[in-house]
Amino acid sequence: MPQQRVVLKNCEVIDPERIESYLAKDGFKALAKARQEMTPEQITNEIKASGLRGRGGAGFPCGIKWEGARTAPGDIKYVICNADEGEVGTFKDRYILEKDPFTLVEGILIAGHAIGAKQGYIYLRAEYHHLLQHLQSTIDQVTQRGFLNGFKLEIREGAGAYICGEESALMDSIEGKRGEARYRPPFPTTSGLWGKPTIINNVETLMNIPPIILNGAAWFSQMGTERSKGTKVFSVSGDVEKPGVYEMALGSPLRELVEDLAGAKNIKMVQIGGATGRVLPAEKLDTPLAFEAVLGAGAVTVYNRSRDVIDIVHRTMEFLAEESCGKCTPCRQGTEVMAEVLAKFAKNEGSLKELQNLADLSSAMMLASMCGLGQAAPNAVMDSLQYFRGEYEKRVAS
Amino acid sequence: MCAPDHSKNINRVGLFSYLIVEKKISLNINGINVSARPGLTILEAARENGIDIPTLCHIPDLLPIGACRLCVVEVAGSRTLVGSCHTPIAEGMVIQTHSPKVIATRRVLVELMLASHPDACLICDKANICELRRIAADLEVGLPRFRARKHYFPVEDENDRMVRDMSKCVQCRRCVMACKSQSGQPLFSMAYRGFDSKVIYGNDQPLDRDACRDCDACIEICPSGALRKPRKPGEERADKALFIKG
Repeated sequence: MPQQRVVLKNCEVIDPERIESYLAKDGFKALAKARQEMTPEQITNEIKASGLRGRGGAGFPCGIKWEGARTAPGDIKYVICNADEGEVGTFKDRYILEKDPFTLVEGILIAGHAIGAKQGYIYLRAEYHHLLQHLQSTIDQVTQRGFLNGFKLEIREGAGAYICGEESALMDSIEGKRGEARYRPPFPTTSGLWGKPTIINNVETLMNIPPIILNGAAWFSQMGTERSKGTKVFSVSGDVEKPGVYEMALGSPLRELVEDLAGAKNIKMVQIGGATGRVLPAEKLDTPLAFEAVLGAGAVTVYNRSRDVIDIVHRTMEFLAEESCGKCTPCRQGTEVMAEVLAKFAKNEGSLKELQNLADLSSAMMLASMCGLGQAAPNAVMDSLQYFRGEYEKRVAS
Repeated sequence: MCAPDHSKNINRVGLFSYLIVEKKISLNINGINVSARPGLTILEAARENGIDIPTLCHIPDLLPIGACRLCVVEVAGSRTLVGSCHTPIAEGMVIQTHSPKVIATRRVLVELMLASHPDACLICDKANICELRRIAADLEVGLPRFRARKHYFPVEDENDRMVRDMSKCVQCRRCVMACKSQSGQPLFSMAYRGFDSKVIYGNDQPLDRDACRDCDACIEICPSGALRKPRKPGEERADKALFIKG
């Protein structure tokens, strides 16, 4: 299956600095259609029918989220675009922001119309500070052309915390607080930013909105698999000849992406979904890339046979221990304990008893953590224990 | 009809008020059909029905904190366990508060807390009323299987109302919430992150002479030996000695 460009159709085609070149490519036609020909209810129904699921990693059905916020009581509502892109090994949103910020803004405006929001925020990660001017210029041009129509769109910058890509911590951060996960319910759709109904969507999710509105749900849902519709943008990095951003229909096999498109050889394992993602060994390369199998935010990091599994998993865990917000016990304490145990294995000082402890700890973290970080933090450990147990056993102190 | 505002209101009253309807909610806890008022959390409904769920961060009448995770329970249909102190009850919910999965998880959580807790119970002033110890004993947790760094902080004993020993803190955040519920400028807030996160006073300075306004709200609810009243030898203890079986 070759690449299929839906989200990236304008990238490298239009001049991202000039709104004219976007308008020449049917720019803002979807917004006009949404505002003039469709009610908010029709829009959310269309998105629901399309089967679009969140592209930030969790895969929540976008239309259901929008409907929740649309029907939630309250006059003040917010749209947030999550451009925090903190997951290790993802850079697709950066590419989109650089090459086609106009489609994103159009998607945000349609979302605003659909849920009845008058205010939107783009939460830009601190590391993308260099894109601030570019993005502000995009918003200014859209404003000058009169497309905002009373909607207020502002950029908020993060301060470098991984956890602030998690939706509830992100809202805390916009509110000016320490970014920490909130318990749910209440969900953001009823009580989000400043306690108001809020939708938070990933950059790539919102990029899908204008084409769905323009071409219809039926067009969109013919791409992909039964439970994963449309295409997905992947960030491929690691031991590959051609690292970069690739877009494929959902359900495409992992092998085509990493071997045929990116040119990987001698693969030992692939990590999909970043630091909290799943680890697959070379034998599993025919796994389809879809929500029902493996996906996450679409970070695909390839490791060849020269790499050491324990070293990779240990460094992943050190990162997560560093980035845990520290609010809940399993994540705060568990990531620290795991990092210490893995450090022992990395130094050939592990013990078999500790492998069982790791399994018990993983299960408690997955079951009891408050947010996705703690729940998914043990993924790489558990997967590598399943597929590369021999490498752990080799590191047991004699 | 309005959803709760996380940023200002810290009073429990009003949380989940958007769920409140006239009718009582029927649910099943540990195989027994019970009914409870809408708007209650699982923890509150369980306690009303005589079922005790352990928790280290819950404070009645204030907004749930949800940090300690000891109150997790199994709810049919849920992928993970859910925090009972902050999850509202819903019609037809089927809940297990002490299933083997729940107990195993709670044990790991207590072990994780003990892993970085100083082994100072013998000389701890609050050992006889320590909630962490009591829960560890209930769950039959002995020496933790896990090892983590210990936190070493000097004891803050400048203030004549309160002694603070942050090496014993389990980060339940009750003191932060309780102080916020009193009038005036709150003393405590959270700083740093991950394993290094800490309840701080001011800009992370030791409690000074003028720090406390003598309400004692935080000391009374601190579940460990982190906050206590200064006590001279011979003065009466807060409670009788704690006996732990086994």
